[in-house]
Amino acid sequence: MSEKGETILEAKEIFKAFSGVPVLQGVHFDVRKGEVHALMGENGAGKSTLIKIITGVYSKDRGSIFWEGKEVEINSYKDCQRLGIACIYQELSVIPPLTVAQNVYLGREPKKGGLIDYKKMNEMTAELIARYDFPLKPETIVANLGIGQRQLIEILKGLSCNSRLLIMDEPTASLSGKEAESLFSIINTLRKNGVSIIYISHRLEEVYRLADRLTVLRDGKNAAVLDQADIQPLRVIELMIGKTVDESAGSSKQMRVSKNEVRLDVRGLTDETGRFRDISFTAHKGEILGFGGLIGAGRTELVRAIYGIDKFKSGEVYLDGKKLNPSPKRSIKAGFGFVPEDRRQQGFIPLLSIEKNVALTNYDIVKRNGAAISDASELAMCKEAIKKIDIRPADPEKAVGLLSGGNQQKVVLGKWLMRDLKVLIIDEPTAGIDVGAKNEIYELLESLAKQGVTVLLVSSDLQELIRVSHRILVMRKGSIVKEFDKETVTQAMVLAAAQGLEESKEAAS
Amino acid sequence: MKQTTVRHLISLGMLLVLIVMFSILSPYFLSPDNLLEVARDASVVGIIGVGVTYVIITAGIDLSTGSAMALVGMTMANIYAYTVWPIWIMLVFGILVGLLAGLFNGFVVARLHLPEFIATLATMGIYRALTYAIAIRDAGGVIQSQAMTDSGFTALGGAAGPVYLVTIALIAAIVIGQIVLKYTRFGTNLYAVGASQKAAALSGINIAKVRILAYVVTGFCVAVGAIFTTARLQSTTALLGDGFEFDPIAAAVVGGVALSGGSGDIVGTLIGALFMAALDNGVLKLHMNTAYQYIIKGIILILVVMFDAWYKGRMEKAAQEKGVKEAAAENE
Repeated sequence: MSEKGETILEAKEIFKAFSGVPVLQGVHFDVRKGEVHALMGENGAGKSTLIKIITGVYSKDRGSIFWEGKEVEINSYKDCQRLGIACIYQELSVIPPLTVAQNVYLGREPKKGGLIDYKKMNEMTAELIARYDFPLKPETIVANLGIGQRQLIEILKGLSCNSRLLIMDEPTASLSGKEAESLFSIINTLRKNGVSIIYISHRLEEVYRLADRLTVLRDGKNAAVLDQADIQPLRVIELMIGKTVDESAGSSKQMRVSKNEVRLDVRGLTDETGRFRDISFTAHKGEILGFGGLIGAGRTELVRAIYGIDKFKSGEVYLDGKKLNPSPKRSIKAGFGFVPEDRRQQGFIPLLSIEKNVALTNYDIVKRNGAAISDASELAMCKEAIKKIDIRPADPEKAVGLLSGGNQQKVVLGKWLMRDLKVLIIDEPTAGIDVGAKNEIYELLESLAKQGVTVLLVSSDLQELIRVSHRILVMRKGSIVKEFDKETVTQAMVLAAAQGLEESKEAAS
Repeated sequence: MKQTTVRHLISLGMLLVLIVMFSILSPYFLSPDNLLEVARDASVVGIIGVGVTYVIITAGIDLSTGSAMALVGMTMANIYAYTVWPIWIMLVFGILVGLLAGLFNGFVVARLHLPEFIATLATMGIYRALTYAIAIRDAGGVIQSQAMTDSGFTALGGAAGPVYLVTIALIAAIVIGQIVLKYTRFGTNLYAVGASQKAAALSGINIAKVRILAYVVTGFCVAVGAIFTTARLQSTTALLGDGFEFDPIAAAVVGGVALSGGSGDIVGTLIGALFMAALDNGVLKLHMNTAYQYIIKGIILILVVMFDAWYKGRMEKAAQEKGVKEAAAENE
């Protein structure tokens, strides 16, 4: 066997469960020398858990890991470094005020006479940069570099300690097209130099271009390991979603256009930095309009702009025919409700009680005694919310931070239900919420729609998106690329559109 | 031009404006004697400023420097009054107390994980109270200013030729402080910890150790400052160091050390210390009420912090606009 094809890392029969819930169930994963091995799977398939076990962040319940044929225990960052495994984190860990060279050799600076030998350090860095042809200079202050170049510093850091396996987790998530291109050519150079890469990505086109092999995970198990020749986009989508699951869960549905009058009319919305461009759509009274797409497609940015949290550069938003100048205060007044993606950070105030959280956006409608807020009115409102959506425990005094994820989300929703709502924007409504509460939230959204509320739903959970939405718009790289308004939609069709594959219907057949 | 250089020039510009203004208002201000006096007055603030700069670069703060100074002074006064030990032993004890005070600050901050502000606010009270506890009192229990007139000791308060010894110590502190900051791992680690503790930890840096060491260095600088101050005054009181928590921080901030951590250097703090001393001196030379010193310092501090925030925002906006332009070019 040629040296290039040797297996460098092998994980066998990996099992891992979190508080009894199995996340990995006998996963096998191996990486060969000098290959780019892509790892794909839907959210929750177990990709990041597997990587965290390989890098020693989590311990495995069962299974074994082999490095160059020898069984190893990896328990820490140091173990990784010793073996030659480096992880390029999604959240970058470079130090902006230092130079490129200082970052690469941070904690390992070469010294001469007790002081840092900058000349040598810069030379060593320049050598590394030249070897892999990176567009960097050793003495540039990192604060002046873009996000793409910062990522290269992390890669350089990994290479500087002779890492032979680089793990890249969604490396292009925050890169521009040009930056991504230069990353791809660097990945090719690394491969030629015998460095192995685990490439985790949601984007099929990248995997298609780069990967020598592809492992697909589904529900904590191996769905397939494909060689380059077998990596065909539609096949991969099928493997990720699992056809049988798709149909048995009933998650294909006939889409339709509501016959009610138009409530929300968005025309040509474009933001400053191009995260969404020329977005036009209408949403009807009593309609649940779903937004599908990959993470980073611009959906969250779009709904935030419609609600008025972020500014947009051009375009118009009309509500019931009247032009809006969105700001959260004006939007609330006009009848908007907004349930943000990150409910812990943006949705509620953990230390405050259910009562105060419900009242927070509703002080304009809580009764007053003179200037003071009427406690009785506030309490009555909270009790109404608790009853309406079954928040448990039904204790107005309970701090929201102490509730389960599902009940926290109900509080966030509940405060909007106290108002005369026209449009509810809800972003990833059930992330990290148990199945029971999920269903309750779905029912709640449906009943709101029946009452005439227009719901804009952003969801990366395809099953949820199809189940809840009446109509689906798919966004890709900041634009709406597909509208599903009459056909029977499957997860594969939505995913194919989100990936930019033309023949999305074939995937369904 | 590098951003730090730009920031230094801005501080220098402020200092120059101040000097020009005072030299117009008071003919005596620019005389060599007065300038040496300004340098002397800047020295203790500058020496303590070296340690305080380290702490602020790690995104910390030390409010206890003035109190720690008093504690060092009173410790030495006790040794002076009640023992027959040679002066050098007294100085060693002074330094030890400074180091311990810094170590304790570092311990509370990095090991007990208290916010720096509240931790050093607490030790500010503790060190001052300890000073009162060990203060030398007369028969009636009234705290006395303790004279320390040994000629070997008071010589430290004097001058070598035209230049005060404390100013020479300042120059040494600045040179060593800047070299340690820029040419040792410890110095690099200060920036790393201040910019992002998470990233520093991922690079294998012992964050607690770096933070503790920054406070210990400050403790050492405080002790040196206390020695030179008491030597010049030839005495100490329980009130020693009043204002010496404010001035080093203000000097660092005027010199461009950002309170958010990760930026600034010792050269900037030196400029800031000279600015503070020139301001104090000018106010005296103009026969203004000394209360105005702190009013003016406070206002300048507010203006500088506002300027830095505005400047930082502008730089970020420029970077963002650059990104937008590139993205736009790409979309075409």
